[in-house]
Amino acid sequence: MAMAALRREGRRLLLSPIASNPSPAGRSAMLISPEQSAPIGLRSISTQVVRNRMKSVKNIQKITKAMKMVAASKLRAVQVRTENSRGLWQPFTALLGDTPSVDVKKNVIVTITSDKGLCGGINSTSVKVSKSLFKVTSGPEKETKYVILGEKGKVQLIRDSKGSIEMTVTELQKNPVNYTQISVLADDILKNVEFDALRIVFNKFHSVVAFIPTVSTVLSPEVVERESEAGGKLGDLDSYEIEGGETKSEVLQNLAEFQFSCVLYNAALENACSELGARMSAMDSSSRNAGEMLDRLTLSYNRTRQASITTELIEIISGASALTG
Amino acid sequence: MASAAAGAVAGAAAPFWRAAGMTYITYSNICASLLRSCLKEPYKADAASREKVHFAISKWAQGKPEKPVIRSDTPGE
Repeated sequence: MAMAALRREGRRLLLSPIASNPSPAGRSAMLISPEQSAPIGLRSISTQVVRNRMKSVKNIQKITKAMKMVAASKLRAVQVRTENSRGLWQPFTALLGDTPSVDVKKNVIVTITSDKGLCGGINSTSVKVSKSLFKVTSGPEKETKYVILGEKGKVQLIRDSKGSIEMTVTELQKNPVNYTQISVLADDILKNVEFDALRIVFNKFHSVVAFIPTVSTVLSPEVVERESEAGGKLGDLDSYEIEGGETKSEVLQNLAEFQFSCVLYNAALENACSELGARMSAMDSSSRNAGEMLDRLTLSYNRTRQASITTELIEIISGASALTG
Repeated sequence: MASAAAGAVAGAAAPFWRAAGMTYITYSNICASLLRSCLKEPYKADAASREKVHFAISKWAQGKPEKPVIRSDTPGE
């Protein structure tokens, strides 16, 4: 049956010098194009196209494997730093609490995404969480704005939330994440954006395959004072003795600023880890897919090659029998 | 601590850096970079590499981005 299809294609090549549209034999698109690329009157089926395709797929597989190794090695280094940085914000949460349900007028959502792509779905999940947080926190008399870190988040949020973006920051990944850089950024945000509560959206790194989108809430000093008057966890602040000539509100202001900087640092590190882990798994599945594609292409290449050899043999034999018979 | 001493000396006034418009973050960054510059040579280069800052920030007004400002290598500013 395959031979009949091949003979049909060969005859069609002779009859119509102009390349024809895809035949109903529908064996594969790969047979059609060799027809078009071979010179007229030639009855062999070219395997050139399939061979080119195999070469490019193999190159892609090599590249994605290399990217996976690079991501894996970078991940090891960043993971250590991330785990160490977790100790920075834990005392703050123990002292000031992390209250995502706090109800304030001005919310600022800080979305941390990556600049580079090919890292799976983590940027989309962060953006989705930010958008739903936006819906939750907006309402009458309330104002919510975005501050976006990273190119990928900016591109996605520009599409439908252009009017609510306060600031965007890119090129953050030129240097490895360090506290100085993050704190300068935090300083910029503090100086330029008015907020009552900052909600930082990032992907927390649980393991190489698990990244959980998380929201950390940092309150501004005024809100902290208001909440501490209201009692609850923050109300216990009065039971601490404050050393030096500073008043409680000054201490709270310093603490709140420092808390923002630490939480942002930890969030940036966790997001970097998650990005590397996601890139590792994305590149891994991509090399596996390339391998499977290569197998299928090899099979069809061999089939084409054998078919063309068989066609030649048939022609030779029928030619010989025509002479003798 | 320096801020406590300054606070005590000035009475109820804000610490000098707060009065100058700096946030606590800026203040601690300056202290940190001063400390880093006190190191001896091989450690000094390592610490300097941890101080590099580079990002491009752009403020948005009414749905349009303004020209991005590149803040580069200004640690502890």
